[in-house]
Amino acid sequence: MMGLQIFTNSLAHFLAGVLLLCAFALLSQRRLAAMITLVQAEALVLSAAAFWQGLVQGSDGLFLTGIITLCIKGFLLPIALRRITRQFNLIRAVETVMPVGLSMIIGVGLIGIAVMVVLPGSAGTVTLTHEDLAIALSVVLLGLLVMTTRRNALSQVIGFLSTENGLVLAAIGMPGMPFVVELSVALLVLLALLVVGVFVFQLREHFETLDLSGIEAIERRGR
Amino acid sequence: MSVTAIAVLLPFLAAIGLGFAGSPLQGALLNLVVCSLVFVLTVLVFLAPGAGFLHGLLQADPLGMIFGALSGFVALTTAISNIDFVRGEIEHMSARRWRVYHAMCQVMLGASLLGLYADNIGLLWAAVEVATVAATLGVSLPRSASALEAAWKYFILGGVGIALALFGTMVLYLAAQPAVGPGLSAMSFSVLATHATQLDGRLLTLAFVFLLFGYGTKAALVPLHGWLPDAYAEGPAPLTTMLSGLLLNVALIAVLRFAHLMQANFSAGGGAVRPGPFLLSLGLASLLLTAFSLWGRRDARRFFGFSSIEHTGIAAFAFGIGGAAAIFAGLLHMLLHTLIKSALFQALTRAAASRGRASPGNFAFSHLRGMLATSKPLAWMLGACVFALTGLPPSGLFSSEFLIVSQTIQRQPLLSLPLGIGLVVCAIAIIRLIGPLIFNPPPPAAVPVKAGAGICTVGVHLLLVLVLAFAMPLGLVRMLSSIAGALQ
Repeated sequence: MMGLQIFTNSLAHFLAGVLLLCAFALLSQRRLAAMITLVQAEALVLSAAAFWQGLVQGSDGLFLTGIITLCIKGFLLPIALRRITRQFNLIRAVETVMPVGLSMIIGVGLIGIAVMVVLPGSAGTVTLTHEDLAIALSVVLLGLLVMTTRRNALSQVIGFLSTENGLVLAAIGMPGMPFVVELSVALLVLLALLVVGVFVFQLREHFETLDLSGIEAIERRGR
Repeated sequence: MSVTAIAVLLPFLAAIGLGFAGSPLQGALLNLVVCSLVFVLTVLVFLAPGAGFLHGLLQADPLGMIFGALSGFVALTTAISNIDFVRGEIEHMSARRWRVYHAMCQVMLGASLLGLYADNIGLLWAAVEVATVAATLGVSLPRSASALEAAWKYFILGGVGIALALFGTMVLYLAAQPAVGPGLSAMSFSVLATHATQLDGRLLTLAFVFLLFGYGTKAALVPLHGWLPDAYAEGPAPLTTMLSGLLLNVALIAVLRFAHLMQANFSAGGGAVRPGPFLLSLGLASLLLTAFSLWGRRDARRFFGFSSIEHTGIAAFAFGIGGAAAIFAGLLHMLLHTLIKSALFQALTRAAASRGRASPGNFAFSHLRGMLATSKPLAWMLGACVFALTGLPPSGLFSSEFLIVSQTIQRQPLLSLPLGIGLVVCAIAIIRLIGPLIFNPPPPAAVPVKAGAGICTVGVHLLLVLVLAFAMPLGLVRMLSSIAGALQ
């Protein structure tokens, strides 16, 4: 029984660790395509973690969360994001506010802060939850860092996606937390709207420039 | 089903209907009908509280009831003036967008009531999330580049705030584990409040920081205020009124409730940090930043957006001082500010409409100056609203600000100087507007216009402010004091 408990913990930690690694790698990426692949990997790992927690806690809600994550964040959203990048030719469009090295150093600092803030409070409660929480908080903070260091709207959305993965990771690790499915669906709605927003933005920019150049061309010819 | 549940569900159901059918004017009328029904329901909640719906998820406490009724009232008067707004702007948006607009008004109302009546931290979060999505859609409706930009800014900042608030919610759930155990009760406000002393203090502090910054974004506390002036200036005018009248209060009351948990835990030696300094610093920062930002604004709605930041800051400051009297003053300040600000936005919308169109570009002070030449009743109402906002006597806000200042001198004497300076500078920045706005010669294209009967809503708001500030009914005083006593 003890061995099973340790195995449970270490597999949960392993999955959370892989998620953290992906979130950290996101900081170093300059190309949108690679960023999308990374959040896709994050979503796959997250759904695996949700399935595992569902099995351990015996909760159907967590299975549902896993399935939703797998379908929407694992496949649908990345496909939509890739479409947008291809359609508007955004492959090389990522501008960073600061050098990648610097943002990675800040990222390490954030992980340190997350661990320091969460871990010492573990007196009395289940420690597994706390370690998971520390990792989830790191993912959340790294996602926010990605959002602040990128200028491009689409990479901000990707940062938000990563933040959201961290939130869902925290939620599935909470013992017996109600509403996990509802909360993750509510977050997804927000995300879907963000993606639509980017799409509208790009569409508008595209057509506006087309429109303007057309008018200018007509004007130059003297109508 | 309880009255509370009907009051929350009705706007959402109406939103579905409004979103799919009807001409713009029909939509505006239906919007008005639903808002008046909801207002009646929010008043009925006082008579029949209790009766928890969905295992007690939805259970209005006195604080929620008072602000629920206020939200219902503001939504009703906004819906009345919305009819004139729709008449003036009808050609400038397609029928489909008008449907979305009215649906979003209802969703914002429903979500605000849900946030106020919810006895569950998860449900509160969901309400704020829904309200954010609705407000974003609403602000983006004019489809101009600046409106889209404002909506995007709101969405990104709001999204980050929502993410932080959700994390805080989960950590709070974890902090409740030792006292309450797993399950739904660990997310209930009333259960958390009764067990506040046994919560895990460290985790509670961590949760509070996230919740403060998360909901603080929605309440537009500095430094998380960036979205507010843009969203106010670019969205459709009545929607701005709903934003300032409803959503700010929901977020601020959420912050107040969480701060109370911290304070109770701290007082009992549970290991949490005192929440006062957090609220005091954010509140004071909001007030002082506004004192600088109010100068040199050209757009009226942006200007009064900054003034909203000032007043949520003052309320947060009052909550930070601590003690029943200060919390009473903060709640009174929120009540009065909501009434005055929504009246002001209604008057401003009418003023802009009398000068052509109430569209986002038409709220410049230079465009609105000299209202007296356009319409006397409108000019006096507008002047009265602007004056009421300064907080000088006999404006209603004077009573709450006086209470807050006297409490500050008593409990935090060092902070009374910056508070006083901030209040005075803001008052001067606002009062210097009255002259140009009312008496200056109007722009050449302005023609006299007859003010419609709809202007009465502004008068009713101002009258209510005077009653609340200087002759508050005894029942309400008792209710507010007992709320403040319970939350100190």
